[in-house]
Amino acid sequence: MATQSKQVPLFIDHEMCTECRMCYVVCREIDINAVVIAPEAQHLYEIDERCIYPGCTVCLMYCPAPGSIVETSTGRSLVPPPPDVHTDELKWPRKAPKS
Amino acid sequence: MLEPILQDFLDKWVYPTGFSGPGAEFRLKETKRFIPVWNNVVIGALHKANEQLNSENEDWKRNGALGGYSGEGPHMSIKQMSTQLLSVSIPQQAKYIDLQRMRARQVWDEVKHGSLHADILLRGGWIKKETELLDDPRAANQGDPAYFGLTAMVPHIHPLSRAGQNYLEEAVACLRLNAVLSVMEDPLVRHESDSQLLEEMMHFIEGKYQIDAYALTPEDQEPIKAVFDYLLRPWGRSAAHAKEAEHAKK
Repeated sequence: MATQSKQVPLFIDHEMCTECRMCYVVCREIDINAVVIAPEAQHLYEIDERCIYPGCTVCLMYCPAPGSIVETSTGRSLVPPPPDVHTDELKWPRKAPKS
Repeated sequence: MLEPILQDFLDKWVYPTGFSGPGAEFRLKETKRFIPVWNNVVIGALHKANEQLNSENEDWKRNGALGGYSGEGPHMSIKQMSTQLLSVSIPQQAKYIDLQRMRARQVWDEVKHGSLHADILLRGGWIKKETELLDDPRAANQGDPAYFGLTAMVPHIHPLSRAGQNYLEEAVACLRLNAVLSVMEDPLVRHESDSQLLEEMMHFIEGKYQIDAYALTPEDQEPIKAVFDYLLRPWGRSAAHAKEAEHAKK
């Protein structure tokens, strides 16, 4: 596991992650862009300082691999998402485009 | 009364959603129709697993792997699934680029699962070479209508139709695998289930995400609902699935 910056509230545990890239897709979809491809070979995904957790928990709702996204401050796994992180207030509004 | 395996799956993976809005609302509303089906899947899978455990021989291991190969082997994973990448038209390309990447990932996952089932048959001594399977009708034939979205017969199908199929049917796969893992201790069988579970979870999540994120208008939702309507018909799934419903009634 790579050394985790204390400023980044979440990190990816690569021993649990299956590199499905759902977190990357979701984070980019909502224009936060905090999931990046790590500079080392192997094409692993990392979370960077643009992450605004706990203000956003969207990646946690679409990650299929238990234990793969971890809360930096506590070390607790957030996949599957604990009830305190999938509240209605934290959902991103997704509206139909104007025709 | 819901099976605990299903309730756990619903609470952890189905109900949590990252988006509010018409896509998530549509998915959660439609999900209510699937709960009895999913419950039957769990009941049927547990019943079948217990029957197998009490079997006098190990033919069921071989037959399970043959069935897995027919569902995920080269005729399905490489040829037929690849046509799904063609269902995104040129004008839709920008909108569905991530959808295509998820599909491409799934093609590779299913390629691996085909190899996994072949590996089980090789390790168990039922075949000497994988190529034997390509001439075995038990392993090289896929007639399950639930996989219609994967067939080369319908490459024109709307890109989001497959999202509906992923959501409903990959949940079935995950529930079935969880049911097997809850009762089976045989290392070869656990290997066959464990080695694919996380990837089947990804395929389910793929459907969930695509519906929540992309199915925002009635026009987007209509092809998904059509898939759900199709798969929920008695003939929409294979005879093996119909048996699950029978077991659940007992």
